[in-house]
Amino acid sequence: MNIHIIGILISKDLSLFFRKRAILLLTLMGFIFYLVIYFVMPSTVDENLEIGLYSPVPLPIFNQVEEEGLEISPLESEELLKEAVLDGSYVAGISIPADVVEKLDSKQKPVISLYFTPDAPQELKDAMETIVRELVFMQTGHPLAFEVSEEILGQDLTGTPIPPRDRLRPLLAIFILMMEILGLSNLISEEIERRTARALLVTPATVTDIFVAKSIFGIGLAFIQAVLIMTIIGGMNKQPLIVLISLLLGAELATGISFLISARARDFMSVLAWSVPFLIILIIPSFTILFPGAVTGWIKIIPTYYLVDTVHRAVNFGSGWGDIWINLLILFGFTVVIFYAGLYMLRRKFR
Amino acid sequence: MNIRRMGILFSKEFLYGSRSYVFVFSVVRPIIISIIISLVFGTWLVEKPELGIIDEGKSQLVSMFDDINSIDNTRYNTIAEIREAVETGAVDIGIVIPPDFDDSVSKGEKTEIKAFIWGESTAKNRSTIGAAIANTVRELAGQEAPVEINTITLGDEASIPWNDRLLPLIVLMAIFLGGIMLPSTSIAMEKEKRTIRALTVTPVSIEEIFLAKGIFGFILSFFMGILILVINNAFGAQPLLLTAVLALGAIMAAELGTLLGVYVRDFATIFTIWKSTGIILFAPAIFYMFPRIPDWIGRIFPTYYITQPIVELSQKSGVWNDISTNTFILIAIDIALIFILLFTLRRKQYTAAS
Repeated sequence: MNIHIIGILISKDLSLFFRKRAILLLTLMGFIFYLVIYFVMPSTVDENLEIGLYSPVPLPIFNQVEEEGLEISPLESEELLKEAVLDGSYVAGISIPADVVEKLDSKQKPVISLYFTPDAPQELKDAMETIVRELVFMQTGHPLAFEVSEEILGQDLTGTPIPPRDRLRPLLAIFILMMEILGLSNLISEEIERRTARALLVTPATVTDIFVAKSIFGIGLAFIQAVLIMTIIGGMNKQPLIVLISLLLGAELATGISFLISARARDFMSVLAWSVPFLIILIIPSFTILFPGAVTGWIKIIPTYYLVDTVHRAVNFGSGWGDIWINLLILFGFTVVIFYAGLYMLRRKFR
Repeated sequence: MNIRRMGILFSKEFLYGSRSYVFVFSVVRPIIISIIISLVFGTWLVEKPELGIIDEGKSQLVSMFDDINSIDNTRYNTIAEIREAVETGAVDIGIVIPPDFDDSVSKGEKTEIKAFIWGESTAKNRSTIGAAIANTVRELAGQEAPVEINTITLGDEASIPWNDRLLPLIVLMAIFLGGIMLPSTSIAMEKEKRTIRALTVTPVSIEEIFLAKGIFGFILSFFMGILILVINNAFGAQPLLLTAVLALGAIMAAELGTLLGVYVRDFATIFTIWKSTGIILFAPAIFYMFPRIPDWIGRIFPTYYITQPIVELSQKSGVWNDISTNTFILIAIDIALIFILLFTLRRKQYTAAS
């Protein structure tokens, strides 16, 4: 193995990669597109229902409600309440009639008005009706006929929920890594089909040099991009070492898959045809973070699940080595198997 | 018109056309735009609170939850199942209703519900589910609500959410991007490479060549229209009628694309025409975004007769009577375009042969 030759081969691959305009454009566009997607996503979670209240008489339950998820703010007049609802300051407005206490005392039903904007969804209106009805039940001293014993499963994030934007981080990392499969597969398959790889073998470069160079180039390219995007979107703020190791394993996995694809593909179209099914399958686990509960346990047979889960837990929960070492071990196992399988297939193709 | 020859031409079109950048562009662009709009306007990630239920007896509560619009519910059979659902976030809260729950509630005896709460569930989801459970149990116990609630929607006019306003534009873009670009660029490429002349010396007629390309454009256009409505969950109450309108719109797009292909010789001209006159196609959808613009202005544009039925069926729960006039106008436009296309093709056939 000759370090100097490997260096030359890597710089050759780099210049070839940047010469292929379609691939370069796809990479750049993808990068920008991912960043745009990240920054247009909401950076906060509306954890509470912000409700305006106009009550000319004191109704303690409405003013001192300690129910989590409800944020009731008193307003001085019904007109102010309507204006505040219309300008979007509150999702709903509650207007209590002046005779509410007398009517409740005399077992009559007072009429409480709920104000909404025209685009308020029906489920919000129904939810608000239910909540107000329950508050009045509590106000009038109707106890519930049951008790609830609660058990929180997972880390309780009340008060510090994960914004949709941050849920996107593992997805973006994996997209960047897996999209690199396209570029690398195309680069290698072209070299095989044009027989430039064979030409290299009549130079002092050995087969080992060529494969070491290809591996370093592939892993490096995917890894650098993934690290860059994770840094920009704040994915390195917590447990950076764990994130870096996960991304490195992910880059190696992507390189191994590229080797497998380039051993089969002949041109750009067949690279696309082979890559798309791989990409779709490998990207699926990232949607479990964006849409929790959307898929069941079978997802764990996809190697990228362990990458996504590790990045999510490290970046969004600050999980340490003790929590994710099994994930990293499984990911390492998958990566080694796929990488060497790719290397083996590609070596056969070279011969 | 020979069906076998048409089949051969169509399969050639399908095989090579589906590999072109225009095809990928026509499929990917509307999907990406649709996803971005859904993300920006928050419809993709807004979901109702989810309640998981295990009923250890035969509680009426379970069927009563089905009638509640503010939450969704899912049934589970075992504690392990519901725990997994809560842990993965499939449901916000999972409750276990004990066997004697209904009896205890109706007798006013204290009973207990076991609740598993997903740690990442938002406070408002927990609160909404909590209130829904409490209300339903009170209803089961026969407790009458002590208040009447009057729901009032503020504002003079019905406000249309922005993601709804943008839907017709995305649907039109999906229909017309593939429907116009695919046949026109395919024909232009045949002209540029002079393969169209080669084809005209075979037994195939010029009408068959153009029809095969038009059908391919129609299929892509129709498929993309359906896909965008599926992604946006906007099929409304009349999916068959909506599908028929999409098909008529896809026919119009493919006809315009084929017509463009008849006159245009190269790729660059098609893109220039698309960029400069695309606004005419999308004008009705743009006017729809601003309800204050008078409706009659939109009617000037032919695509209004696709936009109006789609909006009516997908967003306003419309029925056939609401769209019949405009749909007949759409059919008339489609038929007129066929005649125009045949007429121009006959003239071009002479040119090709010469």
